[in-house]
Amino acid sequence: MSLLMDVITNHSNDNSTQGKSMSDRTWQSLDHLAGDTLVKGEFDGIKEALTDSKVSRRGFMTIMSASMALTAAACRRPIQHLVPSTKSHQTAIPGMPIDYTSVYTQRNVAYGALVTSREGRPVRVKGNDKHGVNIGRASVEMQASLLSLYDPERLRRPRVRRGGGSTSYDNAVGKIAAAITDAQAAGKKAVAVINEHASPSYAQLLADMSAAIPAFSTVMMPAIIADGAAAANRAMLGVDAEIAPDLSKAKVVVCVDADPLGADKLSLYHTTRFSQMRSPSSGAPSMSTLIVAEAQYSLTGANSDVRHRLHPSQVEPYLAVLEAEIAGSGLGSDVMEQASAETQKNAKAAAAALKTAQGSAVVMTGRHLSARANGMAIAINNALGAIGAGKIIDPTHVIPNSGVRGEAIAQLVADLEADRVHALIFVDTNPEYTADRAFRSAMIKAPVRAAVNLYADETALVCDIDIPGSHWLESWGDAVAIDGTMSVQQPLIAPLNDGIGSTQDTLMNIGRKVDAALFADTASYYDYVVARWSSIGDWRTVLLDGAVAPTATETNSSASVNTSAGMALKGAKVESGMTVMTVPSLTLYDGYYGNNAWLLELSDPVTKVTWENLAMMSPATAEKMGLVGSREPKALARANGKIVSVSTSTGTLDLPLWIQPGMADDTIAVSLGFGHQAGGEVAMGKGESGYVLAGAMQTIGYQKAKNVAPSDKPQVRIASTQDHHTLDDGNGERPVVKELTIGDVAQNEYSTLGEHFPDAGKDGKYLQPLSIVQDYEYKGHRWGMVIDLSSCTGCSSCIIACQNENNIPVVGKKQVLTGREMAWIRLDRYYRGSMEDPTTIVEPMLCQHCENAPCENVCPVAATSHSPEGLNEMTYNRCVGTRYCLNNCPYKVRRFNFLAYNNDYSAPMELVFNPDVTVRSRGVMEKCTFCVQRLHHAKWQAHDAGRDRVMDGEVVTACQEACPAGAILFGDTNDPNSAVSKARQNERGFRVLSDLNVRPQVTYLAKVRNVEGSSAPHAGAEHH
Amino acid sequence: MASQEHALHTAMDPNEEPVREPLILGNPTFRDVTARIGSIVEGKLQPKYLMTLGLTLTMAGLGMFALFYTITTGIGTWGLNNPVGWGWDITNFVFWIGIGHAGTLISAILFLFRQKWRTAINRSAEAMTLFAVICALTMVLSHTGRPWLFYWLLPYPNQMNMWVNFRSPLMWDVFAVNTYFTVSLLFWFVGLIPDLATLRNYVKGTIAKKVYAFFSLGWTGSTRHWHTYEIAYMILAGISTPLVLSVHSVVSFDFTVGILPGWHTTIFPPYFVAGAIFSGFAMVMTLLVIAREVLDLKQFITLKHMDNMNKIMLATGMMVGYAYAMEMFIAWYSGNAWERWIFINRAMGDYAWAYWTMVTCNVVSPQIFWFKKMRRSIPVMFVISIFVNIGMWFERFTIIATTLHHDFLPASWGYYTPTWVEISIFIGTFGVFLSLFLLFARFVPVIAIAEVKAIMPGAQPKHHHDHGNGHDHAHAHASVEGQKA
Repeated sequence: MSLLMDVITNHSNDNSTQGKSMSDRTWQSLDHLAGDTLVKGEFDGIKEALTDSKVSRRGFMTIMSASMALTAAACRRPIQHLVPSTKSHQTAIPGMPIDYTSVYTQRNVAYGALVTSREGRPVRVKGNDKHGVNIGRASVEMQASLLSLYDPERLRRPRVRRGGGSTSYDNAVGKIAAAITDAQAAGKKAVAVINEHASPSYAQLLADMSAAIPAFSTVMMPAIIADGAAAANRAMLGVDAEIAPDLSKAKVVVCVDADPLGADKLSLYHTTRFSQMRSPSSGAPSMSTLIVAEAQYSLTGANSDVRHRLHPSQVEPYLAVLEAEIAGSGLGSDVMEQASAETQKNAKAAAAALKTAQGSAVVMTGRHLSARANGMAIAINNALGAIGAGKIIDPTHVIPNSGVRGEAIAQLVADLEADRVHALIFVDTNPEYTADRAFRSAMIKAPVRAAVNLYADETALVCDIDIPGSHWLESWGDAVAIDGTMSVQQPLIAPLNDGIGSTQDTLMNIGRKVDAALFADTASYYDYVVARWSSIGDWRTVLLDGAVAPTATETNSSASVNTSAGMALKGAKVESGMTVMTVPSLTLYDGYYGNNAWLLELSDPVTKVTWENLAMMSPATAEKMGLVGSREPKALARANGKIVSVSTSTGTLDLPLWIQPGMADDTIAVSLGFGHQAGGEVAMGKGESGYVLAGAMQTIGYQKAKNVAPSDKPQVRIASTQDHHTLDDGNGERPVVKELTIGDVAQNEYSTLGEHFPDAGKDGKYLQPLSIVQDYEYKGHRWGMVIDLSSCTGCSSCIIACQNENNIPVVGKKQVLTGREMAWIRLDRYYRGSMEDPTTIVEPMLCQHCENAPCENVCPVAATSHSPEGLNEMTYNRCVGTRYCLNNCPYKVRRFNFLAYNNDYSAPMELVFNPDVTVRSRGVMEKCTFCVQRLHHAKWQAHDAGRDRVMDGEVVTACQEACPAGAILFGDTNDPNSAVSKARQNERGFRVLSDLNVRPQVTYLAKVRNVEGSSAPHAGAEHH
Repeated sequence: MASQEHALHTAMDPNEEPVREPLILGNPTFRDVTARIGSIVEGKLQPKYLMTLGLTLTMAGLGMFALFYTITTGIGTWGLNNPVGWGWDITNFVFWIGIGHAGTLISAILFLFRQKWRTAINRSAEAMTLFAVICALTMVLSHTGRPWLFYWLLPYPNQMNMWVNFRSPLMWDVFAVNTYFTVSLLFWFVGLIPDLATLRNYVKGTIAKKVYAFFSLGWTGSTRHWHTYEIAYMILAGISTPLVLSVHSVVSFDFTVGILPGWHTTIFPPYFVAGAIFSGFAMVMTLLVIAREVLDLKQFITLKHMDNMNKIMLATGMMVGYAYAMEMFIAWYSGNAWERWIFINRAMGDYAWAYWTMVTCNVVSPQIFWFKKMRRSIPVMFVISIFVNIGMWFERFTIIATTLHHDFLPASWGYYTPTWVEISIFIGTFGVFLSLFLLFARFVPVIAIAEVKAIMPGAQPKHHHDHGNGHDHAHAHASVEGQKA
């Protein structure tokens, strides 16, 4: 192994007296090190270490620092300086984290990132609050991508197939270059099939290559192709791209089969904006209205105030009615008549709601809908005054590189079929897994195929040459976000594969071999990016802040909507009858990180299922198909896991049945991203690949079901983290989660929260029953949390944040089936109402740090105890594992290490661990600590600053830090001015199971729905 | 002797004046009794015995293997999960502790109440207590996540400066069960001393003689020995008596101190004690029906003994039945929605089958003992005793599983099914229990020889056979030894 550490800090002049250990030297400059006489003496040790193929953590550190010495001595690698973020330590202090700015740009969406590095390895991905798109928040995938960096199953060495094994990097690059040269000589094409991206430099690099090598061209082929929105924008707005609306400006949002809060590339952005409008108080009783009309039960649908179930065949008619009601441009006149009476009624209701908020109302349509459908939405939004500079839909807020894809891909297929392509180079794409059959059969006609991917995935297996691609945390780059914010992607570690540079470096090396003049004066992609940025801004400042705000001059304020051009757009006729929907997964999205165990074990926010995808259908549909005998909840739950054979015109899949309340009848939804057949043991065989059912050039959307029938395969058990239990247990609704209407908030009607004991006085919130024991007096800090159920969308970002921060193990499907998932924070999902059309309420549940904790008194060895700051602490090494605390916890938030879940990490996976948190062994209990390591850190910092108290905001928990909705607040409740203390005064506050007198320290703010009426008559009946 | 004839006469002629049924049949002499019990110890090991012992040791071995697997791999080999942290482990623990209670009750309380019929069964019942507590200790020691740290549950001065948590009912369990085991062992052993001395005198093998001599602690049968013995026995009986009530009350605190609906109820301590005696008597019955056949002890363990035990089972069975009904009533009457729901769920939810098994076995089946004929029918009582054993096991399982699998937040609910490992461990505890009992039946006097002799008609020359006091008691023993000498 030679893990060349050629990315280091820039503190060359900081000739400090920092530690003398090997690992510390990582942080010193090359200049310093080159002059260090110690370097030469260390070579022997390096040789030994290099021959060792298994890299331990210590070994890794040693090699990193030693490699750097090697680099310095040999001067083979250019110096590439990293710059820590402004907020972080500017100098390396052993044992202290350093944050670096970067940008997370998987696919073509860019989010500002702040990456925490410990002793030279990235251990946590956070949001960068200086980046306007995600304002410091982080998405599930962004955080979980860290695990893939250290994935031991990543492709490490270049390989040659067809009789070859490992090969040298130079040989592999040479072969690809030779293929391009051959193509050039033969007058054929060499095409790079690249993933969608948001990087101007990468685009420039490819353009440079295409310009210098005439035979070389690129085709952008994302995993999910859905051109409807881009096509409509191109025709009607003159923008060949998808546009991102700003939901923080919208008072009424109608989503027509759009899932902006869930399976959307921009869900992080939308969630941050949407949630700003969802947290009313009696002082400011206003919130947005979310109306969702959809076929599946999406996360956006789960958050809706009003939800209309639509069969896919009714989606365009629904839009047509909306269009006719609001814009009246006639775009939908040809499908109007197909609207059923119910669709008409619902669409008219939605139209009425939209009209009440002219100028601050928007209709969102799924990009998988037809161009005509998206065109209708543009017409409606135009009529609503939502389009224009500074408005909800700002035509400059485009997703980069999100234009119409289908045409270029179709051209490539035609070229391949006509034998005009000599070489295909797949860069960060996996079409063998994602593409339709036409493309897959065409692509193997290219005589030479090469892949530059992270894994030896499906596509790599049908290629002649594969070269390891690089992870975003390993490569330099840049990205432009939807609002024009520019950021530099700063790597945190050198690529963890045999000294091979980043993907872009590989492309440059290929280019150099084809044409020696190409990139002759650019040593690496790093230099390429730096050179490009010299015209954009000061490099160091960019790295310090992580974001360059867009300049106002770029804004094109005149948006003209060409409605008549919309008439030329094609609609999509969806027949009534059984329809299959392929949808991005809420956890894996398109399966790019299919080998990521954090994502696979993350329970889907709607279904709560882990490790696999399903054939989701409504109870009525399941009954119609004879899969269930009755619509009794128990019968429905028992039917889950029966195998259903689903066929579309493109393929057949046998999937486990999942009865999803709230779905439209005669619709089957199948998530993408699962069912890999290559690319890692973790990914392989988990679920089935939904791409098999997807349409050509229409990866997500509707497909007529050719055949849907129960299969004779045996029923399987589905690893769901939550069963089908509803709040109403037949004995009234359990008062464990509370909901209000906007009317209640406006009228100060909070009696349904039931936060008063019968003998409570006028100001008697949380009056406590008499006790013979005097209460403990919390003199210093007293930590508490507030969770706003109204802004929480259930996106699950907090779960991954916690998993990463607290070293929570993945247990695997079998253990989840037994009920042993380890997540410290879970999202309890409750349905209300009928099976056909329920509403959902999500309640994040974590250790409540009860003041009167039932777990504490029952532990025979005092392994769980109360801290003087109000934390319920768990002492792992004292725990003997009686599990009594788990039994006695009314919230069931304690997690027991039933087996040694942390034993089977192969290198370098263990590098992902947070060094501040103990890795637990088997036989001990664990649970949420309120990120006690961060509390201590903040206290030391305060102490160093000469204070005896931590200031408000100096300590944030991992879940709070990640939460895109800003729904979690944490702080000192003894400080009356802290944000958490103020939030606790909110009238919507209630505590879960407060009648047990366990006195939880987590206050929940009741969910508010923007609907008519009051929750008072029917809720709280069971409360005393 | 007239009284002996009288006794025999009564047995034959029901029209005679009503006299108590004799506790020992066949009118044996003291020497007959010694010879009868001694012959069990001295006889050759029968192949049947060895085969049975082999079977029970195999069961024990299976359990040991499962325990080994559990300890080396983790509690994850069991079916437990996040809502259900206890399953068969604690069910078995409470079950075995309960089994032990009959022994203590028979030894201590019946002794203090001068219930002479206890003498035929007290020895084996006490032995059963010990073996059952050993099984219970096995369960409680192995159920933790890190069983090698079991000593952390003991309050001892240590370098960690850690004291145990005296607020935890599990801590109280440690004290209660240890006390129980220690006192039961002492009580049993003290009661054995005169009989071991008798065997020492009786057996011919040199090794056996030495072993019995060692354990009889130099017993000579002198008046002074008898005097001290009687006092020691009385004191231990006095110490044991509160244990009958306290141990299972403390075990029930494991549940009542919890805040979970279905556990947090004040009825548990008396209900658990009644249940323990109920299950204990059922187990004694099961074993004695077999032992009396196999070891041919019909002379000593008569139908009257069986009848009495069945009456106790009927009474305690109705007590637990009352408790079941009262739990349901209070759940409704309390108006507590959680409590109410958990009991509905107990009877109608996922574990309804376990609940109704429990009710059928514990409440319905003993009702047959209202009929004297049934109380005296060996097959009936054997079957019912097994039913009660099953029912009482299910009672503990129902309490643990139904409360844990569905508590407050529906989102956290789950279901629990045991794995082969837990089942094997349970089989293993039976293997250990039965093996120990078989060894006991072979090598230790299964009947308290001295005490039986004391209630024989000839033991009280000055009185009628149905009265006696300590002094006479002592006399009788003295005369036994005297005869031998």
